[in-house]
Amino acid sequence: MNNSNITLTLPAERLFARVARQTASSVADLVIGDDRHEPAGRDFSHAFELAVSEAFTNSVTHARESATPQVVKLTFFFEQRQLVVSVHDANDPFTIETPVPDIESYPENGFGLLIIRKVMDHVTYRREGNYNIISMSKTL
Amino acid sequence: MKTILAFRESEYAWVHEKFPCVHPLLLPLCNKPFIEFLIDFAILAGSSAVRILCDGGLGEVERYCEDGSRWGIDLSYASIHPDDSIHAMLGKNRKFCGEERVMIVSGFSFIRYDKRYDYKSFVSSMPPGEWSTCPGGRITLTGVPTKAVPDWLIADLSLMPLDSMTSYYQASMETLKTGESRYVLPGYGDEPECAFGRNVVISKSVEIRKPVSIGNNVQLLGNAIIGPSAIIGSNVIIDRESSVESSIVFDNTYIGEHLEIIGRIASGNRLNDPKSGASIAMEDPHLLSGIKKNRHLRSLPRKIVHACVALVIIAAFFIPFIILWPLLKLGGHWKSSPASFLAERTDETMPLAKVEVDASGAAAAIAVALSLDRYFRLFRVVTGQLALIGSTPLLAGESRPDAPAYVPAYLPGVFSYAEAEEWAATGGDATIVERFHLAHSNPLTDIGLVIKAFINRFQEKSTI
Amino acid sequence: MNITETSNGAIAIVAIEGRLDALSAPELRNNRSVIDPEKTVVLNLEKLDFMNSTGLGAIVGALNQKLQPDFGIVLSCMNDDVRSVFEITNVQKLFHIFDDTAAAVEFATTRQGAHT
Repeated sequence: MNNSNITLTLPAERLFARVARQTASSVADLVIGDDRHEPAGRDFSHAFELAVSEAFTNSVTHARESATPQVVKLTFFFEQRQLVVSVHDANDPFTIETPVPDIESYPENGFGLLIIRKVMDHVTYRREGNYNIISMSKTL
Repeated sequence: MKTILAFRESEYAWVHEKFPCVHPLLLPLCNKPFIEFLIDFAILAGSSAVRILCDGGLGEVERYCEDGSRWGIDLSYASIHPDDSIHAMLGKNRKFCGEERVMIVSGFSFIRYDKRYDYKSFVSSMPPGEWSTCPGGRITLTGVPTKAVPDWLIADLSLMPLDSMTSYYQASMETLKTGESRYVLPGYGDEPECAFGRNVVISKSVEIRKPVSIGNNVQLLGNAIIGPSAIIGSNVIIDRESSVESSIVFDNTYIGEHLEIIGRIASGNRLNDPKSGASIAMEDPHLLSGIKKNRHLRSLPRKIVHACVALVIIAAFFIPFIILWPLLKLGGHWKSSPASFLAERTDETMPLAKVEVDASGAAAAIAVALSLDRYFRLFRVVTGQLALIGSTPLLAGESRPDAPAYVPAYLPGVFSYAEAEEWAATGGDATIVERFHLAHSNPLTDIGLVIKAFINRFQEKSTI
Repeated sequence: MNITETSNGAIAIVAIEGRLDALSAPELRNNRSVIDPEKTVVLNLEKLDFMNSTGLGAIVGALNQKLQPDFGIVLSCMNDDVRSVFEITNVQKLFHIFDDTAAAVEFATTRQGAHT
């Protein structure tokens, strides 16, 4: 899928997190090709699926605070052995530099962005107009 | 037979502190990660499956060792608690252990073994219990022996705790000396005690004194003296007239000119004394003082040359840019986002646009091949904020081992020296190339390197 | 997600099957054995295919319900993908993790016996 874009627009509801996740998994399998049965390929696919699941869940969790119906847009792009996904939402601005939760306090949340940062190679956040865009990439 | 390798974070905390770039279980001993020695030993002892247990993260170890198919064994990973006894570890891994004999190697210690011994027969005939111990480490066997011990069988081994930089240095030097006869070590060489990795470039006047072990992608420049007892990692440059003796040079390290490294461990920009445990930031005479001293004298002509060349490029590509940029921008193929990058001066940052061009379609392909995605940055060269060619600009706020805080030289450029060479343009090896050129290039060679970088990018983009 | 519950003496064995994410996490959080502070639960994750941070939060949440944070929730049989989520976040440090459910139950029984 060199140089082709896949764009998916989903309602910002928890129910659709699985569609986002499964699409991520399928896209990752597509670019991995025959390596998807190898350990490295499986790890790549799981990491990508996990990151998209976290980003989508994050968008949905914060979308519920706003009254208007909202959508989350996912764009997948593959170039030079790099699989990139951007997640757009219209929520309030935020930062991806969240602190690492302190395990000693038995935290129940705050792990989402940490997981994204750990499993992806590059993660950037930007604000364009009223939109948040998290862009994440992982190299094969 | 199965093997459990168990570690606790507290045992190797010193490695995190002294060598933060490497996972302690991957700490290189004679250019081979520590954990591989243990895996080799488990195989010699007849194991078909090995499980690595740890109370800390194993992510990097897993990425390196994967599922063990490289060694023809099943490799798996699991978590333990810091206070788990051997009994508790066996309980937590009951399915893995099954009914078989299990060898448990616990503690961050080095096993002195000899691949010529028949450990397999020995292990299968030993009574259960402790086999060998050292402070902080032990080898234990469970289950009943399947064979009787033959009288003639000798299978010696001993454990050596790796509890400090001193013992690590000792273990490394010992491994280098005993070499291939006892362990399986990486590298090739026609002579004993002399192992070379792939892509090692040795200038004619370099002197090699055995024993040495040299990794992959290493450049040894004129009149350098390597050894005796030198362990040099991968992606290393040893510059002119420098000597490395009784020392370990870690991966991704650049040793500048006229340096004497004797009885030291060099890692990134740190020079460690294994005896005292002291570590100092390497005051590389060429890179640091050289560049600092000459900055005002040298930087002006360099800046002028860079600015002039940038102006020429701006003029030459003005027409393709003015046609393609609006076209791509309107079509949504040109995505630009602001980001904060580290500036040349320490502790300063500068805003730069990150441009992504979706290379679908002819216009985008041409734009990318002509490096038009870097067009706006050329103006920063004219204003003196960026070099035309230098280091890859690093994003601010990212903590990474090759960050300017850890390396002696950084000069963000529109193009990077790594792009001029045919080295991967990311990762530690690229940083080494960049540092080498920062030390050696002058305004004129810079022009040549810009052209090379441009051609490399052109070929790379136009072949996809 | 599917939750099946069995018991072994005083220990509840809760098996989770499928995916543990934002959609299914509330079901685990509301499970009767999970919210009972005195009940020791072995969570059998053998058939858990996928878990994200919300699912992880629910498992830590289950532990937070317990009077005994050391063995109130014991985990067994997680696959490598699930284990990676525990490890990335360091949450593995909060749990005793077994590769065999029977061994996990034995451990929980012994600990509980020693405590009472």
